[in-house]
Amino acid sequence: MRFKYGMLAPLIAVFVAVVGFPLLYALYLSFTDYKLTDRGAPDIVGIANYASTFTNASFWEAFGVTALYVVVAVGLELVIGLAIALSLQKQKWARDVTRSMLLAPMFITPIAVGLTFRFLLNDQIGAIPELLRGIGINYDFFGPGRALFTLAFIDVWQWTPFMVLLLLAGLESIPKQPLEAARVDGGGPWYIFRRITLPLLAPVLVVAILLRALDALKVFEYVYATTRGGPGTETQTIQYFTYQTGIQFFRLGEASSMAFVVLAVVLTVIVVAFRRLERNRSA
Amino acid sequence: MRRVSGLAIARIALLWAAAIFVLFPMIWIALASFKTPSQLNDPNLVFFAPTFASWENVLSSGILDAAGRSAIVGLTTVLISVVVGSSGAYVIAKYRAGGTATRFGMLAAQVLPPAVLVFPFLTMAYALRLNDTLVPVIFAHLSFVLPVVTWFLIGFFEAVPRSLEEQARVDGFSRFGAFWRVVLPQVLPGLGAAAIFGFTLSWNDMFYGLILAPGKAAILPVAIAGFNTFRGVQLGSMSAAILIAVIPVVIASFFIQRKLVQGISGGAVKS
Amino acid sequence: MATVTFTNVSKSYGQTQIVDDLNLVLPDGSLTVLVGPSGCGKSTSLRMLAGLEPITSGDIAIGDRVVTGLEPKDRDVAMVFQNYALYPHLSVRENIAFPLRATKTPRTEALKRADSVADSLGLSHLLGRKPKDLSGGQQQRVAIGRAIIRQPSVFLFDEPLSNLDAKLRVETRTELLQIQRRLGITSLYVTHDQEEAMTLSDRMVVMREGRIAQQGTPLEVYSAPANTFVAAFVGSPKMNLIDGVIERGTFVSETGVRFELQTDQEDGAVTLGVRPDDLLVEAPGAISAPATATVGLIELLGPRAIVSLSASGLTLTSVVEASNLSGMAESATVGIRVRPGAWHLFDRESGERLNVRES
Repeated sequence: MRFKYGMLAPLIAVFVAVVGFPLLYALYLSFTDYKLTDRGAPDIVGIANYASTFTNASFWEAFGVTALYVVVAVGLELVIGLAIALSLQKQKWARDVTRSMLLAPMFITPIAVGLTFRFLLNDQIGAIPELLRGIGINYDFFGPGRALFTLAFIDVWQWTPFMVLLLLAGLESIPKQPLEAARVDGGGPWYIFRRITLPLLAPVLVVAILLRALDALKVFEYVYATTRGGPGTETQTIQYFTYQTGIQFFRLGEASSMAFVVLAVVLTVIVVAFRRLERNRSA
Repeated sequence: MRRVSGLAIARIALLWAAAIFVLFPMIWIALASFKTPSQLNDPNLVFFAPTFASWENVLSSGILDAAGRSAIVGLTTVLISVVVGSSGAYVIAKYRAGGTATRFGMLAAQVLPPAVLVFPFLTMAYALRLNDTLVPVIFAHLSFVLPVVTWFLIGFFEAVPRSLEEQARVDGFSRFGAFWRVVLPQVLPGLGAAAIFGFTLSWNDMFYGLILAPGKAAILPVAIAGFNTFRGVQLGSMSAAILIAVIPVVIASFFIQRKLVQGISGGAVKS
Repeated sequence: MATVTFTNVSKSYGQTQIVDDLNLVLPDGSLTVLVGPSGCGKSTSLRMLAGLEPITSGDIAIGDRVVTGLEPKDRDVAMVFQNYALYPHLSVRENIAFPLRATKTPRTEALKRADSVADSLGLSHLLGRKPKDLSGGQQQRVAIGRAIIRQPSVFLFDEPLSNLDAKLRVETRTELLQIQRRLGITSLYVTHDQEEAMTLSDRMVVMREGRIAQQGTPLEVYSAPANTFVAAFVGSPKMNLIDGVIERGTFVSETGVRFELQTDQEDGAVTLGVRPDDLLVEAPGAISAPATATVGLIELLGPRAIVSLSASGLTLTSVVEASNLSGMAESATVGIRVRPGAWHLFDRESGERLNVRES
């Protein structure tokens, strides 16, 4: 017993210091009118911050923007990632180098990725719009109605490798016998993929989608590097909006209440996803 | 002669397309770091006489200091995480210490929106007059690196057969001796992967750094973002700075890919 | 060298009683085998002796020293695990030397002794290898080497042979026995394989649901099983156990099969136990027994054959010399009788052995 808790104690102590206490403190902040510019103790304002968060149209707009972003980005990452994982699985030649190269983007600091694409996709000096003009297409990547999809595209560039990494491992852990049995039974490649591979891969797919979605929800660097929320408020994601409320407008109390609303939504999504998963497993 | 199927052709084509898609931005940035400002404005330029002006500029701009600060933050964070994380993860995995609550805590902490924790860190830093130093950044980075490293290690420790440590105890070691001399060496590759992964997470984070230390103690991503904001756009220098940030972690990533999957999925996928 | 004593040892997890009031003496220098089906508490008993499981109540002593509550390292025991538990990061030599190094023996001396132990086990040519480069049998030897290097007071074996293939298992069994005899170290050996228990043990302890069902020499246990559980567990093929009644010295099964036992057991409900070797089969045409049966499957095992029989609702097994198989074919009718004196009677209610003789 003494050994067990002696070993655990340092972890718990650090965890409480860096997660537990700040979390409670944030909860306290969310019930105050704390401003970074204030001196002295902040006043408790009860649920006023939550009330204003819930009635704040910009907040919900940012929510919608983020949701769209997550769906588009993660959806594309799933499809492309699965295709690449299936291709890589059969790849024999220069196997390790190919994999390392294709996985590299996920290790790059997101701000660098954001700035790279800001440069690359720039309407005047960017290489890609220039290439497109060469084949007669004029496309402003950061124009109205397009900027959010461009951000999602950046997300796809950086994070499809993560999908590939997980799905590839999932594919390689699928037992060979069912696949071979299906081939002996006369199934074509598409049939085998749909009826054998995909169901066997399902648990990994769910984990991968969940991990990616939760991470995409936090998107900040791309917005900061490229559009800063524009044009208008089209690309104002939830994390960026919270950052602005807290840092640029110094309203920490309100920003904290927003963060907690986001946390509540995230937890709900996780709980619902796991319920579904459990139900499917038992069915 | 084997028949090459349409599927195989599609497969190769997809991989080539993906490779180009991945490599093109990196190569373009590498080229840009050797261009003059006027050359940078010409998107068609591929062949040119390289200049090192951007590199000289960026190296004298204090970017290396920022990289150094990022390294300090990353190493400190990882060191603390590995020390308290490995001992904790061991008893969580082998003795069910802390029950499911601790386990769940480690998982849940990974999905906390950074916006929840950043403001408490900021106000505490102000209160302790530690704002714009590395201390609050290290604390903030611990809040996501520690749970991830611990989560990885729980999985790795669970994979070590229990009889191994029991054997060591019968052979004459105390519980701690068995952990230190026998179990820990078994998870060393996993520990290394977790440490490198934790380091890249810390190295790549900008959100906390931007809010907690935006000025003289700016870490590398914040410094890189600075090339874009405060001094007007210096594309060449920015490109060089990006490369400085990217190259070490991409090299590190090469060594940890296999272990990474096992760690991230916490055993949902066997690698 | 030491006698090991379990006194009123119990172990429970919450409401579940794993080991219930175990009293057991392992005589100095002997090899005792704990045998029983999985979940009977045999491994837990061994692990309590090793110090890997805390004891709920009772005491364990090694020699004169009560070791209850001591850490494993302070008990002077050595253990061989089912999966060998070799340290993957250490070479064969370092693995064998490990217990000495753990107890702070100087490195050069530890390695020197490891070399001589390895030599005695025929492992000299493998000293530099890592466990993953060894075969199962070699790993097993390294585990044994690691156990014997320290010359502990007690050896513990937790199903050490179950990961080996059949042929290697028999060879290693013999070798283990020779090592134990040579060193004369008190040993406790756990297995679920009754054949292993029979061949290895000086004393054999059959466990069931946390209690000792019977203990004694293998011969005692085999020839006079204390209850129906032991009767069914020990011996292969399994003993035939038939419910019925005794009527004036004759056994009549519930389905009407008669065996003339000439026992002095008083009339009443019993369970009759007959080992397959002692269930005699009379070829068709030479039937003199009052009971008959129909031949089912015949499984030839070289010189002998296992014959499945069905006799008015009973399924019985007999072992027949191959030379006596003539005339026997599937679905033939044969006579069956019990070898005189070679039967066991058990109380129908309690399953306990009834000690009765032939009259």
